[in-house]
Amino acid sequence: MVTTTPNATHNWPAAHTSSQRAWRVGLNVAVGVVAALSLIPFIYLLVRASDKPFSEISALLLRTKTLEVLTTTALLVTCVVVITLTLGVAIASGLHFVALPFRRLLIIPTVLPLAIPSYVFTYTWVALIPSFSGFAAAVFILSLSTIPYIILATLAGLRSVDGSQIEVARSLGLNYRQTFTRVIWPQIKGHVSAGALLVGLYTMSDFGAVSLLNVETLTVTIQNMYRASYDRSAAAVISFVLIAFSILFVFGDEAIKRRSAKGQIVKTFSVKNSLIRKNYLRVSITAVILIFTIIAVIIPFYVLFSRFFSNPVPIDYTDLARATFATISVAAVGALIALLLSAPIGLLLSGKMTKFGQISNKIIVIGHALPGVVVGLALVSVGSKLGPLYQTTLLLAFAYALLFLAKSVISMSSSLARVPSGVKDVAATLGMNPWSVVRKVIAPIAAPGIGVGTILVFLTAMKELPATLMLRPTGFETLATNIWSAGSINRFNEAAPYALILVLVAAIPTFLISRPDHDDRAYIDNSAGGDK
Amino acid sequence: MNALELSHLKVMLGEKTVLDDLSFTLAQGQIAALLGPSGCGKTTLLRSIAGLIRPSEGQIRFGKQLVSFSSVHLPPHKRKIGYVPQEGALFPHLNIMENIAFGIDRTIFTKDQIRQTTKEMLALTGMEGFGHRMPHQLSGGQQTRVALARALAIKPSIVLMDEPFAALDAELRTELRTDVINLLRSQNTTAILVTHDREEGLVSADVIALMREGKIVQSGTPEDVYSSPISPALAISTGDALILQASERADGSTDYILNPIKSSSQSITQGHIVIRPEEIKLNRTISASSINGLITKIDYYGHDAMVSIDIAKEHLQVRIPGPFDFTVGEQVALEHVGPLRFFANK
Repeated sequence: MVTTTPNATHNWPAAHTSSQRAWRVGLNVAVGVVAALSLIPFIYLLVRASDKPFSEISALLLRTKTLEVLTTTALLVTCVVVITLTLGVAIASGLHFVALPFRRLLIIPTVLPLAIPSYVFTYTWVALIPSFSGFAAAVFILSLSTIPYIILATLAGLRSVDGSQIEVARSLGLNYRQTFTRVIWPQIKGHVSAGALLVGLYTMSDFGAVSLLNVETLTVTIQNMYRASYDRSAAAVISFVLIAFSILFVFGDEAIKRRSAKGQIVKTFSVKNSLIRKNYLRVSITAVILIFTIIAVIIPFYVLFSRFFSNPVPIDYTDLARATFATISVAAVGALIALLLSAPIGLLLSGKMTKFGQISNKIIVIGHALPGVVVGLALVSVGSKLGPLYQTTLLLAFAYALLFLAKSVISMSSSLARVPSGVKDVAATLGMNPWSVVRKVIAPIAAPGIGVGTILVFLTAMKELPATLMLRPTGFETLATNIWSAGSINRFNEAAPYALILVLVAAIPTFLISRPDHDDRAYIDNSAGGDK
Repeated sequence: MNALELSHLKVMLGEKTVLDDLSFTLAQGQIAALLGPSGCGKTTLLRSIAGLIRPSEGQIRFGKQLVSFSSVHLPPHKRKIGYVPQEGALFPHLNIMENIAFGIDRTIFTKDQIRQTTKEMLALTGMEGFGHRMPHQLSGGQQTRVALARALAIKPSIVLMDEPFAALDAELRTELRTDVINLLRSQNTTAILVTHDREEGLVSADVIALMREGKIVQSGTPEDVYSSPISPALAISTGDALILQASERADGSTDYILNPIKSSSQSITQGHIVIRPEEIKLNRTISASSINGLITKIDYYGHDAMVSIDIAKEHLQVRIPGPFDFTVGEQVALEHVGPLRFFANK
């Protein structure tokens, strides 16, 4: 999690006029409301769990089954994080530093798995290998679907390291490997850790892949408790275990960040990277990316297409269109709500750092650790007391916004932090009130970054399954629920059209996020010289 | 013994030829200033010497050692070059001590030796007491000092500095420049300084190398390069210069506005003459034979002044030392006291 605490080297112009004071108060109130909304699931779980007497809670927590599930979850998360870290950092570094053929285009297949929900991934591999099941299979699937998080985070980190530092390190007698470990790694490990956190949280909260592969993790246990017995108190208790686990991860990430280089940028003259042209590196990295592309992109797409075309059951195109429209519209509304909710906290964090701002930020970040199952559970219960709102698509969209709010807040605050403070001052001296400054100066500058965050929420919401299953109005089907309700691998042919459409629709925003055109800071160097 | 020898260097970046048939030598302990307009290849030349770019033709020698020639390419980390890029490029994740100690070989020197060298470098660059600060806590000038200390700590054979003083204000710039040059001289370090400040080049270096479009077009001592430019255009790159229409007679005399030659039937060569503004003297004794002009403007710089003078249709600029008592609107006599630099039209 990139808990961006932007380099607030500059304060918002002191609140002298009444309009500025009103602005400040309004901002803080808005942030308070958003933080309170993010707390809803926690409060709900607390209330639910407290229904049970303490003895029953401890018995539930300490029974062998719980410990088993906890061990499985921990093991799964560890395996997936280790694998994705190793491969992801290697692939990203290769893409950044090595003169690969079509290097800008090669980024696309490495992030494309983001468009494939883990349950669709699983379906395609089970369709290929019927006996595909169990722990190792889950590690395989979840690693493939989460590597893009590491690759994107690592690339962002690498792009922030100025090429001139690498040149200085080389001239000071370091070879490539030493340059990487002593200059680059210390500066990117915060980014990489953020990526690893996303991978960890994703794995922990994943429901689709693990339940299809018969691996019982905490998420599956919660869903089962909820579905089988409607024992919501027990589900709430187990949810707390999951949350505690997630919080552990969030704090681990923060600890790494605290020890790693601060994002303090020393003003440097930016120098392009000269690309490494060592043949063994070019061949091995290209090979790794090709193999990854085959198993994580080509095979799933191939299976989806072949199932789609060999489908004997006539496709109900009206149904398909309706589900597509439903998916896109609910996800879009959810992304929009997340955008609106994250604006106040983003603005607050980009200005002077206050205690209140920091605490609110933490709450939202930890909220990101909540799995869809838990948020779904909480909103089902709260929603049922809301009367008319219950069982509406609006509540579902709101759930998406709550679930993925952190993604939006992160990109919001880091984009806003990039707006030069001088620009805000100049606008203020030119007679603009704070609101006009936001509208005419800050928003246009920060828009691209905020756009990426919103797209990310939209993308994740489209693929979301557990909360959607719980919160959708009766009879409302999205692409995800349609795929899921095909239920078993035997009816995968029926689900194939929905899966194919979902993956294709999700591929568009994924492509936008990967921004292959974004890295224009490298050029091909004639130097074949490297370590000798 | 030349510390650095470049011969017929050619460097391509992608399809673009950035350095072309460039040759240059530098003796041990000499400091060279590389002057030239933006984009003429100054930074590329430094990076080629450092081994960060591989030339496609030509050779580079450090003393007797051939470091770059056809298939030979000594990688940058084996060249022992002190490289100070623009803005210093300090490692933001390391404090000042760690930055300075960064390049010292840990396999050769003990921790104590490294600490000792680091302290020496801090003292040498006047940065004692800053060892535990982080780079972003330093001013621009301090960052430059640390970048230099970091480069010198590995006892480099050559120091390459890419506009190290560009970002500093005038006063600090002069002070730091003096410190750095004295430091390099005291260590008998061979160094190349890239700059586009003409005076900075002249005052700091033993050798001035003028670059144009990927070539070194003239090099020599500062006095030499300043007083004997090989073309009018190069005269401007080392200081202010007046470039006036002129013609040369067969008898060797030169006709130009400050030395009109009346009638002549001799064959003449058309061209230009280059005069430095300080090579014209002004006085008040106006006569029929003197060349007279009208002062239209005086730009006052304190230690001297630039006086604009109209003669007939020409417009000249003359530098006079302070103090002076000329005023705008005054008639003055002009006298050219410097060398005649005639360049025939091609």
